[in-house]
Amino acid sequence: MRSLKNSKSVVIVGGGIGGIQSALDLADMNIQVHLIEKQPCIGGRMAQLDKTFPTNDCSICILAPKLSECYRHPNITLHTLSEITKINGEKGNYSIEILKKPRYVKEDACINCGECAEKCPMRVEDEFDRGLRHRKAIYLYYLQGVPAVMTIDSEHCLWFTKEACRICEKNCDKDAIDFDQKEEVLKLDNIGSIIVSVGYDVIEDSIPLNHYGYKEFRNVITALEFERLLSASGPQGGHIKRLSDGKKPKKIAYIQCVGSRDKRNKDYCSSICCMYTSKEAMIAYEHDNEIESYIFYIDIRAGGKGFTKFIERGENEYNINYIKSKIPEISIDKKENPIITYENFDTSEIQKLKVDLVVLATCIVPPKGIQELANILSIQLDDFDFIKTNPYFPTETSREGIFTCGCAHEPMDIPQTVAEASAAASSAAEIIKGGEF
Amino acid sequence: MEYDLFLGCVIPARLPFLEASARKVFDKMGIQLNDVDGFSCCPDPTGIEQIDQDTWLALGARNLSLSNNGNGGIISLCSGCVETLKGVNYHINKDEKVKEKTNKILKKAGTQYDGLTSVKHFGQVLYENLELIKKHLVNPLDGFKVAVHYGCHYLRPSEIIGWDDPFEPFTIDSIIQALGAETIEYEMKLECCGNPVDKSDKELSLLMIGNKLESIINSGANCVALVCPACYQQFDFNQRELNKLNETDYDIPIFYLSELVALAFGIDPNELGFKYHRAKPTALLQEFNFLK
Amino acid sequence: MSLINFEFRNEILQYNASLSYCYQCSTCSSGCPVALITEGKYNPRKIIELALLGFEEELIEEQNPNVWLCSTCQKCLELCPQKVELTEIFSVIKNRCFERGKLPEAFVLQAQTIVNEGIAIPFSKSILSRREKMNLPEIKTAEMKELEPIFKETGIENKIKVGEK
Repeated sequence: MRSLKNSKSVVIVGGGIGGIQSALDLADMNIQVHLIEKQPCIGGRMAQLDKTFPTNDCSICILAPKLSECYRHPNITLHTLSEITKINGEKGNYSIEILKKPRYVKEDACINCGECAEKCPMRVEDEFDRGLRHRKAIYLYYLQGVPAVMTIDSEHCLWFTKEACRICEKNCDKDAIDFDQKEEVLKLDNIGSIIVSVGYDVIEDSIPLNHYGYKEFRNVITALEFERLLSASGPQGGHIKRLSDGKKPKKIAYIQCVGSRDKRNKDYCSSICCMYTSKEAMIAYEHDNEIESYIFYIDIRAGGKGFTKFIERGENEYNINYIKSKIPEISIDKKENPIITYENFDTSEIQKLKVDLVVLATCIVPPKGIQELANILSIQLDDFDFIKTNPYFPTETSREGIFTCGCAHEPMDIPQTVAEASAAASSAAEIIKGGEF
Repeated sequence: MEYDLFLGCVIPARLPFLEASARKVFDKMGIQLNDVDGFSCCPDPTGIEQIDQDTWLALGARNLSLSNNGNGGIISLCSGCVETLKGVNYHINKDEKVKEKTNKILKKAGTQYDGLTSVKHFGQVLYENLELIKKHLVNPLDGFKVAVHYGCHYLRPSEIIGWDDPFEPFTIDSIIQALGAETIEYEMKLECCGNPVDKSDKELSLLMIGNKLESIINSGANCVALVCPACYQQFDFNQRELNKLNETDYDIPIFYLSELVALAFGIDPNELGFKYHRAKPTALLQEFNFLK
Repeated sequence: MSLINFEFRNEILQYNASLSYCYQCSTCSSGCPVALITEGKYNPRKIIELALLGFEEELIEEQNPNVWLCSTCQKCLELCPQKVELTEIFSVIKNRCFERGKLPEAFVLQAQTIVNEGIAIPFSKSILSRREKMNLPEIKTAEMKELEPIFKETGIENKIKVGEK
């Protein structure tokens, strides 16, 4: 039942776990929510993870029910492939414009059978799987993605680049392909408040990591790539194999603080890496009991509830060696095995360790496009380009009526993001249920 | 183009043949090098700077103050001198108190320094004039497989040196390639030659240069290119000693960058003093028709 | 058992405040070429640790680790994520060693030559004739009367005398 008091809606920019949680909280309060997501599906970074710390539960198992609920909830409207382009008004009374990119697939007709993708001749590096495998020009963003429909990537589709092909259309039983779709501008008004939950990018997308041989040495990969290799739905089906020769690694080294806590790159702590490398090492051990893990760190930051026990379990039960020594560079031997030179703190000796695979725990950074978004919304960013917030009001941006949660304003893990998402939803709801309007 | 030539101590008093090649090269390129009277030791950044910073700053500032002629500033043939002169400039310009203290000392010697003299390594001047180099190229160095050793003070600390890239340098490789030679990558390319350790522990210093030479020999290079006389001494003087110690048979010619440019410019090798090299480049020069 | 000397630590901090940024991550020692070949006996991280704690005796009297083994390659300074200026800090420590006369002889000899002749390597007769043969000009280096006031002001000669003992 809708009452006049609840006639304003909330716009949420960013459909990761933060945006999804806020959306569900608000929708359950009988408030209309518009959830805007620039990718073809909602889910964000959490969908890319295999397991989450500190419980090591399957990430998608926790996320998927929320994705479905977002899709089906009568009070939530999903706008995927969309970005916010204009805003007018003030707290309690915003109007915005959304630019929706064409999917070239009818969302209500596609049944996700995959016939089109099978026939498509164009192979493209898959972004969700971090370039570790290929997808087609018509593709499903990820296996459990919502909305569960295909998308056509117009930059690689032969019809858009060379006016040829259209095999997908010919093979679609449901007549779901529509090459005539165009960009749409959607105007929404009567918006009471806005939540910005745009998440994060990873630093390897903006700086070369030449000291570590990333992209040059095939057995040096990043944590997010490793996460995809560990995932059962990932490019190796959950079997851990080296990219150079397909062999199973038995010695894996994790390098902490790549780009973070670094005055030459990002002078802040990336917050989640100490925990996630232990998590990844534990999962790797579960896949193969012969794996020895070596985590090279400056400090192990494990401050949350149950986190210290988690690290201790790693050391005692999962064959993880924690070595205090930050690693500045990596070399390889003739068989592409990475070699790490480090200081043994107990003896002050400089030692070399040859491993099979190196995983770089890279710094998380504000997402690409955050400056444009901040300009559009007229909210301030801090020195690191995260959304500026006040430590006493951590979900308030610099503009009244616009809130934020999650990594958009500060690196944090999933439990904290979810807590903040509910906090932001509560603040957003206050404006709408407050009765002034 | 005109520069004041800062020679330092090692090159004119121990390796004058390196000075000869540099003078001939810049003469061919039409870049004038002025000889300035009255320079002292720069002073040595691995020597005096480590024991008495006030003296280091004062002597360095005094040297810099002698080149205030409104021309291109100082050009130096030695990475160590560049490190000192740029370093003195850096500290004096960064901290007013350092400038005051240094000038207070200089006043006793009847001079002052304003912090404005520009300093360039000769490698920088060559790189900035690559087109000019290509113009005067007469004998491309075909067949030369050069292992470039940048050394440390040519590149770091990058905030003071402000030239090239501290970990992925390319300027000297570019010059060598412009001369028609091939540059060879090798594992220990960025490592220190070990010369500064020589004053404290000769054995350690030999170990460091030994590792470099081993890496270079294994890479298939047939010669080495340098831009620093301290490195030159490490590479050229120690091959015999290493051979005695380790029963190796190192005999790889060591060239200064200016010598390679001189050869490529067609300057008569007999005027370049190759006989003063300890590891003789005669065989290599004959093989590629630079000598009969 | 050694005593901590806070004065010593503060002295270094005064010359170079970046010492206090160090968080002992051992990036420097992991990349240091001398640390590698001495298997950690020379250790830049340890030198900075001792400087931070004010262990003057270890650094200056015992020289363990021996700061004089630094090759000034500046790799540590360039890699340090906290921009600690290690080689500059080592320089300060070495300056202190010089004042106490605790340093390798070669440094004292070089300093003495510069104080006497203004240059580190005097021109020998054979070099002068070689220069002439190669048509190289005569080099007029600094006159001692211009340098002596500098040496007097910095007092380097007195410090050399300490080193000679």
